[in-house]
Amino acid sequence: MSKSGFWHDVKKYRALLLMLAPAVLFFLLFAYVPMAGIVLAFKQYNYSDGIFASPWNGLNNFRFFFESGDAWRVTRNTALYNLAFILVNNLLQIVAAILLFEVAGKWFRKITQSILFLPYFISWVVVGAIAYNMFNYNVGTINVALEWLGFAKIDIYNTASYWPFILVAVTAWKALGYGTIMYLAAITSIDTEMYEAAEIDGANIFQRIFKITIPNLMPTLIILVLLAIGNIFRGDFGMFYNMIGNNSMLFSATDVIDTFVFRSLTTNNEIGMSAAAGFYQSILGFATILLANYAVRKYDKDRALF
Amino acid sequence: MKGSRKLASMMLVLVLALTMILSACGSKNDNAGTGSTAAPGENAGSTDKELKLKMVMLGGKPIDYDQVFGEINAKLKEKANATLDVEFLDWSDWATKYPLKFAAQENLDLIYAANWANYNDQATKGGFLELTEDMLKQHLPKTFEVMPQAAWDQAKVNGKIYMVPQNNDETIDKVVLIRQDLLEKYNLEPVTSPETFATYLKTIAANEPGVTAYGARPGDGWKWHEMDDMLLEQNNNWTVADLSVPLAFKTDDPNGELFTVYETPEFLELLKYYKDLADNGVWTKNVLSEKSDVWQDMLAGKVGARSHNIGTLGLNMVEGNKAGKFKFDVADITPDRYKLNALSTQNGMAVSATSKNVERSLMVIDLLQSDKELHDLMMYGIEGKHYIAVGDDKYKQGEAAPNYTGFSNWGFNSKLNRVDDSIPASAIAITDAWKDKVYHFPLETFVFDNSNVKNEVSNVGNVMLRYAIPLEYGLIDDLEKGRDELVKQLKAAGIDKIKEEMQKQINAALGK
Amino acid sequence: MASPTATKGKFKFSDKTLLSIIGYIIMTLLAIVCIVPFILIISSSFTDEMAITLNGYQIIPTVFSTEAYSVLFKYPKDMIAAYGVTIGVTAIGTVLGLFLTAMTAYVLSRRDFKWRNQFSFFFFFTTLFNGGLVPWYLMMNALEMKDNYLALVLPLLLNVFYIIVMKSFMSSIPDAITESAKIDGATDFGIFIKLILPLSKPALATIGLFLALGYWNDWYNALLFIGKSEMMPLQYYLYRMLANMDGLRKAMMASGMAVNFAMPTESLKMAMTIVATGPIFLVYPFIQRYFVKGLTIGAVKG
Repeated sequence: MSKSGFWHDVKKYRALLLMLAPAVLFFLLFAYVPMAGIVLAFKQYNYSDGIFASPWNGLNNFRFFFESGDAWRVTRNTALYNLAFILVNNLLQIVAAILLFEVAGKWFRKITQSILFLPYFISWVVVGAIAYNMFNYNVGTINVALEWLGFAKIDIYNTASYWPFILVAVTAWKALGYGTIMYLAAITSIDTEMYEAAEIDGANIFQRIFKITIPNLMPTLIILVLLAIGNIFRGDFGMFYNMIGNNSMLFSATDVIDTFVFRSLTTNNEIGMSAAAGFYQSILGFATILLANYAVRKYDKDRALF
Repeated sequence: MKGSRKLASMMLVLVLALTMILSACGSKNDNAGTGSTAAPGENAGSTDKELKLKMVMLGGKPIDYDQVFGEINAKLKEKANATLDVEFLDWSDWATKYPLKFAAQENLDLIYAANWANYNDQATKGGFLELTEDMLKQHLPKTFEVMPQAAWDQAKVNGKIYMVPQNNDETIDKVVLIRQDLLEKYNLEPVTSPETFATYLKTIAANEPGVTAYGARPGDGWKWHEMDDMLLEQNNNWTVADLSVPLAFKTDDPNGELFTVYETPEFLELLKYYKDLADNGVWTKNVLSEKSDVWQDMLAGKVGARSHNIGTLGLNMVEGNKAGKFKFDVADITPDRYKLNALSTQNGMAVSATSKNVERSLMVIDLLQSDKELHDLMMYGIEGKHYIAVGDDKYKQGEAAPNYTGFSNWGFNSKLNRVDDSIPASAIAITDAWKDKVYHFPLETFVFDNSNVKNEVSNVGNVMLRYAIPLEYGLIDDLEKGRDELVKQLKAAGIDKIKEEMQKQINAALGK
Repeated sequence: MASPTATKGKFKFSDKTLLSIIGYIIMTLLAIVCIVPFILIISSSFTDEMAITLNGYQIIPTVFSTEAYSVLFKYPKDMIAAYGVTIGVTAIGTVLGLFLTAMTAYVLSRRDFKWRNQFSFFFFFTTLFNGGLVPWYLMMNALEMKDNYLALVLPLLLNVFYIIVMKSFMSSIPDAITESAKIDGATDFGIFIKLILPLSKPALATIGLFLALGYWNDWYNALLFIGKSEMMPLQYYLYRMLANMDGLRKAMMASGMAVNFAMPTESLKMAMTIVATGPIFLVYPFIQRYFVKGLTIGAVKG
């Protein structure tokens, strides 16, 4: 590729490049410049020297994480939770979007769609409070009901094994409206001519859904999954912290990297140590997304992220 | 793929280039910082030039800020030709913003400092200006005169002072708030010991449906049982050298020999005491996840007892008794043990490393700590409005008291502090009784510097939360097995290394 | 000829009905799961604090009280100002952000653009790596963002997630449309404005909604950069009210100081949810129409 070729291309695409310029500038300024702060992960930071002049620290900032004996457990938990979220959320959202689109009543569609969005607006603090109100042993709604029905009470807040299910369900519930909209938009973007053609060919509605709607949702699904996979090693701190908090009886099943790091650093608030944990998550996420993107590229070049 | 690899390397170059730009801005700030520390004496000694000092406080801006600080500034202008411009970091987000103030090398003069706000850490990282004895003597004469040497010693980080600590002999001992009406209803012995307290709690748990006998909120992230202060430390006359690790020495041990509290027979005994309470339903099964405010619950009649420092419980008692529904009282369950003074660094004021007005800043701290008029204004607001003076050392809450409260003016705590006149006699009696029992010992001023064992301290903290808390709240059935597991995890987390380091520091402090 | 069509028609009618029935059942169940907690919140926000402490949240208020709302609206001026800031920031940010997102996404969606993958990677990379809070804060400070409305608008203006989703929507627009316009002599920017934007209505509505929600719910940037109370957006104003109590409680414990305070925190939490959600919910039906109707690309093409 010669230099003149490159400049030739620049000229050829100058309009497109110009259209891209604001976004490129934006990410340079607000993402790439501060990204240099990653060096903090390898520094013994102090205020007077600043980020770059502070002395190097080798891998010392990573020690608290890897020497805790919990690194593997919390990393695994984070990835497994995110996988479950990706799977359950997308499946539920696709089903909801298709049903919303196909169900006859216009008002029913509109109202249900609005209602599905309600949980999105409830902050995790409030969700946590409501959950406690429902699940606690003494006066929780569930236990009061069980007692009334003559069953034994269940001690949800001291039994770790219930929590993966609860957390997956709560996350799905909260994300339902938001994700459904995205799939609904994808469905409405399908050219109605395609449906009409299918109808003329005599396809029934289920065939139509499986032959036209779902294949047309695949690009959106793939993109959303790929985007989620890049962050598979980042836990939703707000969710885990407000649902579980410091209840150590549940940690074995609910501790993710973010909550673990938060707890570890409450006593000594070392910026370098949190940078180190973040860097670890980034590297893992980067490796995973390269693999996933590679796989998608092999299957269909146009569907890949990059 | 190939394209993106090339792009990645291009981006690396870009990041490096931008890094240099950023570091250029960074170093500009540095110069400003060092410049000010090197030449603090632009206006040395003289107060000719009127100065506006920037002060950072924790907590919400009080509603009557303009009014009160208007008066403070009028007085300060007269006495030091300086005025204060205060920035408040709300309780909701101070933990994020406070370190950022230093990181950004913002131009500040005065800043609230406290051990629980990572004073040591900020000082080590160069956030505060070192205060030499000469500076203190020269610019802080009144305060220096009355401040005990022990208070200064506690404020030392690596041998250097970075804050003007509070100067009031507050005891740190915890007491309990109980329901006097229930005590009378069940005809129980007065609560004066761990045993009588247990009887009180168990009686409530057994007979008062809907009332949780003891309110604790371990969910706040406290790494100790909320009764540990009383039953582990006070009751055994131990001193836990640093609350972030479970290491203690006997308060009267001249050698300050450290031991791991979890390995002691006393701890196992205490576990049995706790387990007995838990099995009797003294606290709820889901105590680790409870979030509601204990005092609100107690006021509503849902909780039968709580423990806290005497100041807070005294105020609770006033409020509760005023509501009239129940009768509250304060009780000391370890009355015969040593009483210890709070660390002076629990509250204090520091001068920012970026300050260009060091002398004047110190003068202002001196005035606000040691000038009666200014101290009263800072601590209690405007007389007749926010408080009503009762003699020289007491006060009553004024009508507008809620409009001037809730921020860290505690940084100026001093011997001039007034006592709340409404605090009930029983609480006063307890504090009075303590006065003679305050125990002074060489290691009183010992502050642990954890910078060599940060990783281990993090891990030990995690172990305490994960293994000690459920054990102490009686959620693990086999106590000895649970204790063994805790000790095992603690060893794996590096407690021995911390112990060695801390012992070294203790020995050095004792001059051995 | 007539009878097969009839049977076919009947058959089609029944499978549609079947799907509708399944749809009604499942969607009604989901809707109940989503609305019950919200009813609980509304009701609790109107319940006396003491009653909540004693009985927990109830579907029907046991002791009716509007105290939580009077606490929230104790300083009505501040509250109205906060609404004003949020509405302004949301409106400006959404419009600007949506335009930039669409323009960027369009370029990336052009199959004939040689560097589309490289640029996609350039954007995507920023979602994986970041320098953390301190460098970001220093950068924003260097740009003089303190007590500046731009600090509320700029950080959320572009989001890689939205760009990529938008790009994937635009990729489904047939290339033929762009090509035929090009032959007619249209510029790239002209094609984007005149052809692509109208064809992307559902995607624009979706991303616009997400951007708006992002702005509406943001409090973190305000936490970092806004100190003046009259510049605070709604969510930060509310967040502070609640978190202040919690923070003070912990500080009291740590500092050994005694402070007396009482606030209806439980009902307040709930009232805040209502106050913060209400307005968005009033606007929602207007955006909704873009999601419920199919799009006919042919119509635009022709």
